[in-house]
Order: sequence, then structure tokens, then C-alpha cells
Amino acid sequence: MATRSTESNALESHLEPTAKALLGDAFDRFEADQIAISFSGAEDVVLIDIATKIRPDVRVFSLDTGRLHPETYRFMERVRDRYNIQIDLLMPDANDVRDLVRRKGLFSFYQDGHQECCAIRKIKPLRRHLAGLDAWITGQRRDQSITRVEVPMEQDDVAFSTVDHRLVKFNPLAAWTSADIWSYIRSNDVPYNPLHDTGFMSIGCEPCTRPVGPHEHERNGRWWWEDAGGKECGLHGQNVRAVKIVG
Amino acid sequence: MTHRKITFVKKILADGQPCGKCRDVEARLTAGNHWPQINRVVVADERNEDSEGMRLAAALDVDRAPFFVVETPTETTIYTVFLKFAKEVLAATTANDDARLLLAENPDLDLL
Repeated sequence: MATRSTESNALESHLEPTAKALLGDAFDRFEADQIAISFSGAEDVVLIDIATKIRPDVRVFSLDTGRLHPETYRFMERVRDRYNIQIDLLMPDANDVRDLVRRKGLFSFYQDGHQECCAIRKIKPLRRHLAGLDAWITGQRRDQSITRVEVPMEQDDVAFSTVDHRLVKFNPLAAWTSADIWSYIRSNDVPYNPLHDTGFMSIGCEPCTRPVGPHEHERNGRWWWEDAGGKECGLHGQNVRAVKIVG
Repeated sequence: MTHRKITFVKKILADGQPCGKCRDVEARLTAGNHWPQINRVVVADERNEDSEGMRLAAALDVDRAPFFVVETPTETTIYTVFLKFAKEVLAATTANDDARLLLAENPDLDLL
């Protein structure tokens, strides 16, 4: 009879080959300069570890919002050295940042939400970069957030594809759990961001990320101040019937 | 010319204050000089369930405010995301607005 430990090992043992197979397939289908890994500077370093065993010169990019932790910048440099890869740092448009900061200051997200800042510092540079690729690879996992529970291993990227340009997104770690990731990191001596040792599960920009407790979900480590604000949009009259959200 | 009627529903909170998001939307309408395109402004007052905006929200099955109701002779469309309304109805979004809308429609992207 299989013990819990051996079942767990069996699970892990199929996750890595599956991710490897997907990456191998992706690299076969797309030219080297047309596919790249998106690296956040956190535990998705696992992707780089697996991918470089298949394609040592895999393209990697990171969104450098200008607000990352110092530890994350140092970690990116460590990854660059360890795997002997180039990491393209994608930076926001300087005029966009200047305009935002002049209008609202450096911490406007605490007052009116993170979306405007993320749009300028992440989405626009990402969209610009993806316009030059046919496929990208992310470390998105289903267990990371309620917004990711249906992440497939491969998908047409409807967010960034255009009428003239089809973009494919690969998520080789979609079925992995946080525990699987950490098991892989330890087993394979993969370098990791030291912030993880201080309670950070999800690592993003410094002002918008915090450590979480042992039983908290990692999403709680991001934009925690917005919970109350988000609820403010609802209509709270006592007899308003249950209704759906529309476009 | 398109015959359409646009109703803007804004909210008054239980403490009597206008909601912050409504103020932001009003500021955007002012900054873009879009008020001439808004035919009616209706208040959903959380202190008064019989207020016109609360009744309209219930009738239209909408659970949040602010929102916009765009009526044409053939259809009625409800927008709860201002940027989507600005893009599709006012045709007045910038590249930054489009990026923000992309994020609103794909919330998992902010974790990148």
C-alpha cells in the first residue's frame, strides 16, 4: 500500500516530466527568438531551472517596475550568473511614470487602487514586449489566486493577441502547488529569493507586497488594503435583491 | 446620428458621503468634457432603498455603482467598468486607459 509520502513523490515525479515535455514542445514549435520566459524574481525560477536544461540560451525577461525589493534585484543577478542567461529587464515609459508621480505622488495606489500604477509599470511594457514574440512562458499556477484556478497548460493569449498577431501562452507549472515548487527548489538546489525566508510567498513590488502568516493564502500578501475599498463599490441597501455583475 | 440615452448612476454611501469611485468617475467626465453626452444622472442612496438609483439597480440586476446605462432603440447596455464605457461608448481612452482596462479584464496579470 502506498504511503502518503510515496504518493506525494509520485505526484512530484510526474509534474516535472510534464513541465519538461511542454517546454520541449514549445521550443520545438517556436523559433528561439520568438519565445521567452517571463520571470518575476520569485519562485518561478523553477521555470528557468527546467528550461535551461532543454535550451541553455532561452530568452528570459522580467518586468522591472522600478519598485522591486533590493533583494529581488540581487536575486535576478544571481539567477543570471547561475544559469548564464541574459535577462531582459522591461521598464515602464519614463514619461508615464513621471506623469503619474507628478499627479498623484509615489504611493497613489494606497488611495485609489493598484490598477493605474500596474497598468503603467507592468502592463504597457509587457504588451510592448509581447508584440515582438509569438509565444511566452509564465510560472502561473492554479493555486496562486482565485483568478488563476482555471489556468491551462497552454492557451491562446486572448489578452495580448491582436487581429494581426496571435500569441500563445504556456504555463508549465499550472498544476504545481506551492509545496511542489518548494520541493523542487530544495531537491535541485535551485537559488531562491531570500525574501521567501522572511515570510513572503508572493513577491511583487516592495510597497505592494508583505509577508503572510503560515495559514494565509499568498494572495493576502498583495494589495491587502484594497479589500475594504473593493467592497465599497457594492450597493448595500437591505432589500436590494441578489444581482449579477455585468460588463 | 445614433439616438442613444446615457444614464449615469452614482452612489451615496450609508454615511451620506458620495462614494470615492463616483467622485473619480465624475472627475474623469469633467476632464474629458464628456458631460454633454450624459443625459441623466441618478442617485443610488444607500440610506433610501426607494431612491431612483437603488430601484434602477434592482430592476437592471446590477449590484454595484457607479454604473452607466446606455439605451438605444434596439438595446440597453450596462457598464459597471468606467474604462470600458469610456472606450466603447465615448471612444475616449488613452493607451494608459487601455492598459488599465486590459488589467481589469484579466486580473491575474497583476500578479506578474
